[in-house]
Amino acid sequence: MLEISELRKRFAAAPGSPEGKLALDGIGFAVRPGEMFGFVGANGAGKTTTMRIVMGVLKADAGSVNWQGKPLGYAERQRFGYMPEERGLYQKMRAGEQIEYFGQLHGLSAAAAKKATDELLERLGLTERRNDSVESLSLGNQQRVQLAVALVHEPEVLILDEPFSGLDPIAVEALATALQERCRGGVPVIFSSHQLELVERLCDSVGIVSAGRMVASGTVGDLRAAEGRTLRVVVRGATPGWADGLPGELSLAGDRQVLLVTGGDDQEILRRAIKAGHVEHFGVEQPSLTEIFKEAVA
Amino acid sequence: MNGMMLVARREIGTQIRTRAFKIGLLITAVLVGALAFAPKLLDRPDTYTVGTVNSQQLPLAQAAPDAKFEWRSFPDEAKAKEAVLAGDVDAVLVDGVKVITDGEIESELGVLMQSTNREVKLGAAGVSIPPLQMESVGADTRYEAARTGIAVVLVLVLFMLIIGQTMMVAMGVVEEKGSRIVEILLSSIRPWQLLGGKIIGLGVLGLINLGTILVVGLGASMASGFAAEFPPGMAGIVAGVLIWFMLGYAFFATLAAALASLVSRQEEVGNVMSPLTMLIMAAYFVAFYATSDPTGTVATIVSFVPPFSSMVMPVRMAATEVPLWEVAASGALMILAVLATLSFGAKVYERAVLRTGARVKLGEVLRAK
Ligand SMILES: Nc1ncnc2c1ncn2[C@@H]1O[C@H](COP(=O)(O)OP(=O)(O)OP(=O)(O)O)[C@@H](O)[C@H]1O
Ligand SMILES: [Mg+2]
Repeated sequence: MLEISELRKRFAAAPGSPEGKLALDGIGFAVRPGEMFGFVGANGAGKTTTMRIVMGVLKADAGSVNWQGKPLGYAERQRFGYMPEERGLYQKMRAGEQIEYFGQLHGLSAAAAKKATDELLERLGLTERRNDSVESLSLGNQQRVQLAVALVHEPEVLILDEPFSGLDPIAVEALATALQERCRGGVPVIFSSHQLELVERLCDSVGIVSAGRMVASGTVGDLRAAEGRTLRVVVRGATPGWADGLPGELSLAGDRQVLLVTGGDDQEILRRAIKAGHVEHFGVEQPSLTEIFKEAVA
Repeated sequence: MNGMMLVARREIGTQIRTRAFKIGLLITAVLVGALAFAPKLLDRPDTYTVGTVNSQQLPLAQAAPDAKFEWRSFPDEAKAKEAVLAGDVDAVLVDGVKVITDGEIESELGVLMQSTNREVKLGAAGVSIPPLQMESVGADTRYEAARTGIAVVLVLVLFMLIIGQTMMVAMGVVEEKGSRIVEILLSSIRPWQLLGGKIIGLGVLGLINLGTILVVGLGASMASGFAAEFPPGMAGIVAGVLIWFMLGYAFFATLAAALASLVSRQEEVGNVMSPLTMLIMAAYFVAFYATSDPTGTVATIVSFVPPFSSMVMPVRMAATEVPLWEVAASGALMILAVLATLSFGAKVYERAVLRTGARVKLGEVLRAK
């Protein structure tokens, strides 16, 4: 399990802002093996800073990062896969060689690195581009190479900062499948993203960060439950005033009346609706992650 | 260790494949080869064409074994004059008593003809003069010209290679820092491995360059016959050059990496490197000065002061005989300087290379805990 607790980080004051910038204000969460954790939050909320601290690129002022119960050190990080927010590749180096090189740096033998590279290139649809220099690839293809670099050594943990940004829908699917496979193999995956539908679809759990603090976290189901249930009832030709006294909003759409209600006795509401007219729809509204997110960071 | 070697191998692999490297190597090889033939072309033995009119040939060749003489005989003075004016002959001896020339005569030829003539006449009169015995009691200056020539070429080669490779190190560091490749690199290897690998890799490329220069230079010298003028102990000089290059390069490249790690953009490299570039230039000027006065006080003293010694000592070694203890003492000082630079440079690099954005101040880096 990867446990991140009580991380604090203040960036040194730039000239003009005397007290510096508090980027992380006690953020903490945990990711279990085989769990896909979606890390969401507004721009500047502190996602990248958190990931950099986990990868040892930045030092936290306080707090800890533990992996399998022990403080995370250099030797363990070697078996992590990391995709930084600002993509970094050797522009003049060939795509395939680059992936192999990083595989070897992470401890693979030359042969193993080559084999893993071949597989990844195949998987990411880059086999024909193997010998092209990175600078000659399109942005999205460079992005795929960057992903391959993070994945080549079969990492024990994956930390990916906005891995989906800039990918076309096909590549998004390929990457999603690749990540899900790794996850099923027991690898904890943390990725940040602003594509909330994608996070909602892929992630077992989600953490919403705001101003350096974790404001909500858990499975998407948990987060929804915390939001409270909203009931949506659609009745055609209802007698006016049937919903008086219910804790909800009634709106009119043609000859249909739509009631959105939070709380209250759902069975009682159903009985009243049937009595009032023809019930076309009666169900619990699922708030989207976007709605939960807006609510949480508000 | 393994990580460092992987980094070094990548540096070598990527650089060696570039066209710039191949062309650079080719150009140096051609230049050095040409240089080895130059003395032969410039320093051709003197050749004189001497004519006679009704005279005996003088035994000039005997008196000046290094020069070449061509003899032509003319039927009368008028024909001889024509040839002199046309520049076909340098001088014509007429009736054994007179020399005609075109306005001037090369002083060497004039002196030679006068003294040979005197000797022949005296010999005929039965007087024989034993030639003067030459004996040298000073340093062996036979090889001085060749030594100075080698030293001058050496200064230039060392300077170009050190400044070139040092700049490559700086640009490589900024490439990795600016593009954030360091973030991934440093999550799998240590900063000193990355730094060390880069310095070693580019150093090996420098050695490949230097080796090519030496091999081509020596080979061409043998082919041109210039090698005959080499001073004894050429092998020692070559070995010295290689070792001094490595020491000097290690010193300057480490500082270059440390300085370069302070900035994030290639445009800033020249600026941040300028103190170091000036230091290398200073070393170059002192070393160049040493070629003309290798035994002088300045050259002798500076050949002990790191990092200048890395360029001045090999020049002194080529230009003159340097006692072994001096070389050893200067080498030991330079090694100490390299070790100090390595520890300082690694510290700066490690602390600065992940701090992208605005230029990091050196003082700030050193003060940080
Ligand atoms: N090197 C730095 N120096 C000063 N402030 C920084 C630095 N890096 C980040 N910050 C500040 O820390 C805060 C958190 O930034 P961070 O990059 O972690 O946000 P993020 O959640 O990744 O945002 P985004 O979604 O835009 O990528 C921001 O206010 C940012 O300005
Ligand atoms: Mg970010």
